[in-house]
Amino acid sequence: MAQMIDITINGKPVQVIQGSFLLGAVRSAGFDVPTLCHHKDLTPNGTCRLCLSEIELKGRKRLVTACNYPVREPLCVSTTAEPVVKHRKMLAQMYLGRWPNVPAIQNIAEQCGVTDGSRFKSELTEENPKACILCGHCTRACEEFTLERVLDFAGRGIKRHLTMAFGEPDSHCIGCTSCAYVCPTGAISVVDALNNPKDPVKIRNAGMRVNAEMATLDQSQCRMRDVGTANIVDVMNRYDLLPVHNYRFGSHEEAFKIDSKVLKSRFAQGAADGCWLGCSMACAKTVDHFELQTGPYKGHKVCVDGPEYETAAASSNMGCFDADFLFEFNFYCDTYGVDTISVGTCMAFVMEAFEAGVITEKHTGGLKLPFGACDEVLEILHQMARGEGFGVDVGKGIRWLKNKWAKEYGADADYLRDIGMELKGLEYSEYVSKESLAQQGGYALATKGPQHDEAWLIFMDMVNKQLPTFEDKAEALYYFPLWRTWFGLNGLCKLIWNDVVPADNSKKHKPQDAAKIPDHVRGYFEFFEGMTGTALDETRMLEQSARVYNFQRCISRMLGFGTRKDDIPPYRSMGPVTVEEYESRAERYDAQLKDQVGVDPTGKNTAEKVRLLRAFREGQYQKLVDVVYKRRGWTSNGVPKIERLKELGIDLPEIVEMVKNDQE
Amino acid sequence: MSNHNLKPIDKSDLEKIAARVREGFGRYKAMIMVCTGTGCVAAKGFDIRDKMTSEIEKHGLQNEYLVVSTGCNGFCAAGPLAVLQPSGVFYQKLKAKDVEEIVEKHLQGGQVVTRLLYTDPVTEKTHEKMEDIPFFTKQQLVALRNKGLIDPENIEHYIARGGYTALRKVLSDNDPEKAIDEVLASGLRGRGGGGFPTGLKWRSGRKAAKERGEPIYVVCNADEGDPGAFMDRSIVETDPHSVLEGMLIGAFAVGSHEGFVYIRKEYPLALVRLERALEQARTMGLLGKNILGMGFDFDIEVHRGAGAFVCGESSALMASMAGKPGEPRAKYVHNVEYGYRDKPTILNNVETWANVPVIFEKGSKWFASIGTGDVSKGPWNGNSGTKVFSLVGRVNHTGLVEVPMGMTLREIIFDIGGGIPDGRSFKAVQTGGPSGGCLPESCLDLKVDFDSLTEAGSMMGSGGMIVMDDRSCIVDVARYFINFLTDESCGKCTPCREGLFALNRTLTKICDGQGTPDDLAFLEELSQTVAAASLCQLGASAPNPVLSALRYFKAEFEAHINDKRCPAGVCKPLIQYGITDACTGCVVCAKRCPTQAITGEKKAKHAISSEKCIKCGVCLEVCKFDAVEVK
Repeated sequence: MAQMIDITINGKPVQVIQGSFLLGAVRSAGFDVPTLCHHKDLTPNGTCRLCLSEIELKGRKRLVTACNYPVREPLCVSTTAEPVVKHRKMLAQMYLGRWPNVPAIQNIAEQCGVTDGSRFKSELTEENPKACILCGHCTRACEEFTLERVLDFAGRGIKRHLTMAFGEPDSHCIGCTSCAYVCPTGAISVVDALNNPKDPVKIRNAGMRVNAEMATLDQSQCRMRDVGTANIVDVMNRYDLLPVHNYRFGSHEEAFKIDSKVLKSRFAQGAADGCWLGCSMACAKTVDHFELQTGPYKGHKVCVDGPEYETAAASSNMGCFDADFLFEFNFYCDTYGVDTISVGTCMAFVMEAFEAGVITEKHTGGLKLPFGACDEVLEILHQMARGEGFGVDVGKGIRWLKNKWAKEYGADADYLRDIGMELKGLEYSEYVSKESLAQQGGYALATKGPQHDEAWLIFMDMVNKQLPTFEDKAEALYYFPLWRTWFGLNGLCKLIWNDVVPADNSKKHKPQDAAKIPDHVRGYFEFFEGMTGTALDETRMLEQSARVYNFQRCISRMLGFGTRKDDIPPYRSMGPVTVEEYESRAERYDAQLKDQVGVDPTGKNTAEKVRLLRAFREGQYQKLVDVVYKRRGWTSNGVPKIERLKELGIDLPEIVEMVKNDQE
Repeated sequence: MSNHNLKPIDKSDLEKIAARVREGFGRYKAMIMVCTGTGCVAAKGFDIRDKMTSEIEKHGLQNEYLVVSTGCNGFCAAGPLAVLQPSGVFYQKLKAKDVEEIVEKHLQGGQVVTRLLYTDPVTEKTHEKMEDIPFFTKQQLVALRNKGLIDPENIEHYIARGGYTALRKVLSDNDPEKAIDEVLASGLRGRGGGGFPTGLKWRSGRKAAKERGEPIYVVCNADEGDPGAFMDRSIVETDPHSVLEGMLIGAFAVGSHEGFVYIRKEYPLALVRLERALEQARTMGLLGKNILGMGFDFDIEVHRGAGAFVCGESSALMASMAGKPGEPRAKYVHNVEYGYRDKPTILNNVETWANVPVIFEKGSKWFASIGTGDVSKGPWNGNSGTKVFSLVGRVNHTGLVEVPMGMTLREIIFDIGGGIPDGRSFKAVQTGGPSGGCLPESCLDLKVDFDSLTEAGSMMGSGGMIVMDDRSCIVDVARYFINFLTDESCGKCTPCREGLFALNRTLTKICDGQGTPDDLAFLEELSQTVAAASLCQLGASAPNPVLSALRYFKAEFEAHINDKRCPAGVCKPLIQYGITDACTGCVVCAKRCPTQAITGEKKAKHAISSEKCIKCGVCLEVCKFDAVEVK
């Protein structure tokens, strides 16, 4: 708990947080002091000296700059003492003499009661109203927003001027425009030559809020710039949500070997690696000078692009808690052009089947494949690329393997359906959704298969607890797939929507709204309006997305999918399939049986409890599907109703044709 | 000496080495201490030393006399110089050919060469021995205790003078808090100019590091940037191990294992000697792991500054060390808490560190007994110990002097410094470097210590002392220093950047005869704002030359502004050269005048054309008859 300190400002008693800067206290007490070098999103550096204030501490008076003076003990402050006013006036004259036509300076001069700067007129007086006044906003924004120091001052004393290194354009500039945004005079301006946006200022203002949030909040939130998406390996492990051993468990004692600390220590440091110029989140990471141990590039030192969270979690899903394996796996998946998630989830399935005896070395070409078989995973990956051996089978995915093993090896098809984490033919991505009904729906109801691009609700549901009721979950499954579809429609990155969050988000909004991060949604709308000139609100955004979303569902239907049965996930994603799984979380499951199912678990054996829980959870899921379909305007079989298509204005004959036989 | 003769030592070896070295010295009839400080080296001091060695060998005297290359002797005005020890015979202003005479007549023949001895310009007395020369008699050597007595490039010479025993004492006491108490009791205050009690600084640093569980650094500020100041450079050139030993003791007291010396690149000789000292100390196990076998680890890295005055300011220095622009930051949070790399950092200057070993050798009581005030009443309540000054300008004995705190300016300038040359009169003394103040004759009886100088409108600074005679114009002097500071301001904060520039413009205007009566009020008002509102001490102290000049020499400003007259005859636009009746018509001035402004027949009075004259002053310099006057 922060300690509060009693101070008086111009005779008025106020309480301030210990260690906070005086300027904040002065302004919130309703007093104004002029500033030129202060900016709310930047570290104060006290160079303009205008906020000079007199403090009395232990009977001694002295002058300090309020912007960077940390309050540590009780004191009396005067912002209007005679010397303060006198010096401030002189400072304003200095400014006015040097830059007489800059509006920001004229304002300051007026505030300080100065009309004449002629005593400071000299050959250096600059008449330009957009002159650089050396406030240093831009250099700090460059350093603090983007971790670069592309802009800085050169020249000592009166020769101080703003420049890039050696006076030449610097290739480290990512074009984020932060410097121009914070510039109070317009000395730095941005040339808007690309894409002919309707209102570039609107776009920049929206973008700049993101830059400012990244500068001030990221370090204490997701550390995206520092660690990238891999920051949540630790969080997921802590919340029992990190997939381990084919989603059987949600955490592992060895997870620390691939957690964000380890990854950060291996990332090439200090380089902003954004997907495009201007991104201040720059969450892409690389591991440089990594020496490969296997495969065609064995012995080469390479640059590994990643790993992202999903790749690290795929690794834990295979039981491979080894950072060097993770990098090698990441590199070869990228190089061969295969998806780290699909390979990881598929291998996890293969490994569970191997450990359960469904397949043996006879089927794998002699490879032993228990969880954690790192070398063998890489070997299968290389086989897959070469088109040889067991790797060819694995490369065809879980759905294909399930069929083959049931048909050719006589495996138990029901068991394989329960543990084979795919739906609609696509492998699951890397979150354990067992305890989050919302995420179960997020995965299984997604049009193109169980990936979280459409509805990543696990964090809201499990970590932030923003979807407490059944209705909240169903509403989330209506809103978020459409919202996330909207990103795709506009080619926008979604990480800046929820991987950095306004500090007051959860205070300002109730949980269900907070989950939407309304301030950020508005930022995207402003971007849209700045780009196109058309204003957007939630209703119109949802309409734009719903047209596409429903159209996609119709296409699915045309292709023979897109009905309720295609939306029912493997039970592994909903609850414990095996006795071992149940027992690993027995306390939680027992409590649920008692509180939610209404069955007393005492004296029942685990197999029976697994069955009871399963019946309950499957029921819950079906209920969820009913509500979601209804909310989406679909039939109980999951097909868009024609009246919904009409409502959206996409009831074109060709589309109606796709679904007309499924109407109720 | 070469380092491979050195080997790691432990705590019992110091006396053995000292005895061996002293015994070695004892075998010679005398040692010839040739000064090779920067001043003497510039006047071919190395040649003198080499010549001395070769002449001695030529005469087969190499077993009787040992030539030692020492650091700065201090009496720079008399350089290049050599002192025979232990007799103390002092030879001055040597040229290579004088060396032959010394070797032949004195070393071989036993006759002192009187023509190479020092003669006092005031009393016209010739002194044979160094200790009798007034320049030396009033000095008290603490920081400079080994000055002229050891070869700074030989660690064993330092050990022979008792070096590193203070460190051993501190390590065997093994009580850091007690060590800090000792420094606190000594009343040692930072010699870099701030005068902050060293013990207090150490205590807060130690506390901050302990509370936060973070490493603490120890830094030596050797970035002396004041024009005309060379105290720190001389100490490093003369006795680098005293600084290292001080840092080692400080490091142990505050719990540091990593130290730095920030030294300016323009000090090549000091740098060589410092690096050699570090190498030798490392080889002997006085730096590194398990120092003296006593379980303490510490090492020192050298960081070279690129010569910005502001980098002598502690936070700018630390920024520069960290590879950032050398700009200061607000010090509401102190360096002892968040300094280099945001870790607790103890920064003291060269002279402060050099004082530390003595405090442990002779005790804090002894140290506190030197100087003024009574530190037993509190660390701020006194000025104990000595202070080293570089005494330069219009004074007979320019050089490096060390005096007890509290000595008056008059004693320093007239007794030690030998007064003003050429029969001119004293006008002012600038203490404290460029941002110190100009003090007039009425302040000559001021006691020199941190507090009195500040009260008088100047400051101690790091110990620069520039003496001016009646031919210095005080407005021009103020302009000179403000011009220097305008160049050296980093430009980060507005009052220092814009304010100094405006001060400089206004002073230049006055020197050019364009001043107006309201300029004086403006100078004063502006100076107050620059002093009160600047971010760091550079800006805060920068107006001192103007404010002190206005305080003590206002009339001279008024002469420039109201009468368009420069009383000292310095400001060119305000002066006229003329030729008086004393002219003999020797034509020397006419021949040397670069613009042919002087005309006149041989043996007849010459005249200067004011249109052609560029006021270069050549005529004044060359006239043997004092016939050129400045009006």
